[in-house]
Amino acid sequence: MLSQFQASTALHWLGRQLFNRDDPAAFFDPLLERIDPLLTRQAICARVLSIAQETADTRTFVLQPASRWQGFRAGQHIAMTLDINGVRRTRTFSLSSTPGQWRENGTIAVTVKRIRGGLVTGWMHDCLETGSTLHISEAFGDFDTPAVTESALYIVGGSGITPVLSHLETMAADGFEAPVTLLYYVRTRQDIIASERLFALARQWPALTLNLLTTDEPGSSQRLTDQHLQQVPDINARRCYLCGPEGLMDLASELLSRRNIPEDRIHCTRFSAPTVELDRDSLGGQVQFAQSRQQAESLGDASLLDIAEASGLSPKHGCRMGICHQCSCRKNSGTVVNRLTGKTSGSGEETIQLCVSVPAGAVSINL
Amino acid sequence: MQQLTESQLNELQQDLDQIRDQVIADLGERDANYIRKVVRLHRSLEVGGRVMMPFGFIPPVLVAATTALGLSKIIENMEIGHNVMHGQYDWMNDPSLNSQTYEWDTACGGDSWRRTHNYEHHTYTNIIGKDRDYGYDLLRLSEDEPWRPAHLFQFANYVMLSAFFQWGVGLHELEFEGLRKREITLKEKMPFLKEFFRKGGRQAFKDYVFFPAVTLPVAPIVLAGNVGANLMRNLWSSTVIFCGHFTQDAETFTEEESEGESKGHWYLRQMTGSSNFTGNRWIHLMSGHLSYQIEHHVFPDLPAHRYPEISAQVQAVCKKYGIHYNTGSFAGQYGTVLKRIAGFSLPDRLRRRLLPEFSAAAAGHAI
Repeated sequence: MLSQFQASTALHWLGRQLFNRDDPAAFFDPLLERIDPLLTRQAICARVLSIAQETADTRTFVLQPASRWQGFRAGQHIAMTLDINGVRRTRTFSLSSTPGQWRENGTIAVTVKRIRGGLVTGWMHDCLETGSTLHISEAFGDFDTPAVTESALYIVGGSGITPVLSHLETMAADGFEAPVTLLYYVRTRQDIIASERLFALARQWPALTLNLLTTDEPGSSQRLTDQHLQQVPDINARRCYLCGPEGLMDLASELLSRRNIPEDRIHCTRFSAPTVELDRDSLGGQVQFAQSRQQAESLGDASLLDIAEASGLSPKHGCRMGICHQCSCRKNSGTVVNRLTGKTSGSGEETIQLCVSVPAGAVSINL
Repeated sequence: MQQLTESQLNELQQDLDQIRDQVIADLGERDANYIRKVVRLHRSLEVGGRVMMPFGFIPPVLVAATTALGLSKIIENMEIGHNVMHGQYDWMNDPSLNSQTYEWDTACGGDSWRRTHNYEHHTYTNIIGKDRDYGYDLLRLSEDEPWRPAHLFQFANYVMLSAFFQWGVGLHELEFEGLRKREITLKEKMPFLKEFFRKGGRQAFKDYVFFPAVTLPVAPIVLAGNVGANLMRNLWSSTVIFCGHFTQDAETFTEEESEGESKGHWYLRQMTGSSNFTGNRWIHLMSGHLSYQIEHHVFPDLPAHRYPEISAQVQAVCKKYGIHYNTGSFAGQYGTVLKRIAGFSLPDRLRRRLLPEFSAAAAGHAI
């Protein structure tokens, strides 16, 4: 019934009048979440059904999204929002399960490696329990599976395997017959994520050549070299997929381009650890004002409000001393330092006070 | 006002900043749970009140429904709306508790409130001529404004303002006094008026047209109950707000003494210009913790339920610098407000004889 508020223009208008909000259906959320969080309307809720330990620092979380979630294609990501000590924090994760599984039993999975010092991944490992709920976005990303007849090469490092698992299992289930090679680089054999699933795939799906390479195993350091590519039959006819740490991806792109594989046949999905703590010397940076499509370069400890005004914008503001919150504004991405507290913000989307926020590196503001 | 040296003011600032930093560092799940619990209480009261209202032909049900709806409006306006719009919960990064987008259940539009209250009132608190909340351009509450015979009727004006408080607050930004003196033109105020008619119209439509209309056979009862709930909220919120700055010992300031002031001086002005009242937990909840007006004016963007916890520390700071911490029972403080309204309706000579405690010297105000 509540979905009608969104579906019908007239009801949506009425809802806005009655509940004073642009998402009137969400008015009842505080009551509905007591009954079943999956009924809430403000964001798409998902429940943690089970948690499996993959390796010492990697876990797979199986989630049941609310039924209105629209599904995904293999290789896509979702943004997950978790309530950590009262603060909503959003991070992007690749889905490691297949669309087939979601159609079959309505579950999806993310496989999360604990990043050293990582607030969100650390919390997910330590505190996220079966039965708790979180918010997920609709799926996005275009790291899509190849066409049925196309041979493929996957170069994957560490936890970069997550979207590739979804690819491979989907392709196997759909009966892909063209050869597929997976070069999977891990530190030691203990770091292989979802090894059972991979071995099972290799057994059941003749098109797959699975090549596990350990980089830190005593006696054998098998870092990516051109020789590994040399051994892939007919490599120039393949569609190439790269997923893993920056260093591996850069090296792989370089080696592939030296083999004259055109760029439009190379697909990457990048993920990197959040930037580390910044000191005051590294203040300033490129500021992007997303709505007005303007850019400005800032140096030193100029506040975002000053920078915006110097760029000819006139954002709403009041006291200019962090009291009145008139200038509060959405930050799309980037890190800022709060002039009053000296605290460094997160890198994701959040609300900041322009008058006391100093950019630390590139920042995008919703102005 | 208490005279402090520049170095004392600096020290005062440091002492208060320290209290603030402690709370900021401790913000977390407890605060999030608190505000979500209050939001849940509001939803239950509003849904309960609206559902019961059509059965108001049974007199006790009418009383219960009106009380529930009135309480829901009071809690939403005072503890949720007012506090959320101050940015007290922006750190939670929850879009439905965001200071810049929150819209509350009253005739005054959120944007107008953010301009007139968060910026003007909280920045220029009790500076005669700059803080139009001091008397709302309607009441003469200090000697700074010369007496005119029209002031004889101001007690009746006060009663009217209280009864229709949401409309008074809604029209506050119109600057009636400025229009009357032709300092501004109606044309300049057109964007505001449009906003006012949109929001005010929405509120009137909801309570006085829509809900009575959908319960047609009992429309007069529903209308009466809704009027009663709005009246209840108007009287209570006006009373609480008047107790915040118009008690006997709450001081006023001149533009000159506040020109280019330091943060320490701003703190001092906030403390001497505000007044608290005591009460139980429910009184504090229903007043949005404006019963801790001093704490609120010193730290407008700290979650209000923290004010009782830091009150002892703020009182210790007051004691250290010899600043009067203005508090008392609700009845006592409100009594002095009524005396002030009545007293300043009289010519100065008569008032000084009848109510000597309201002479400028007694209030510690430099003439």
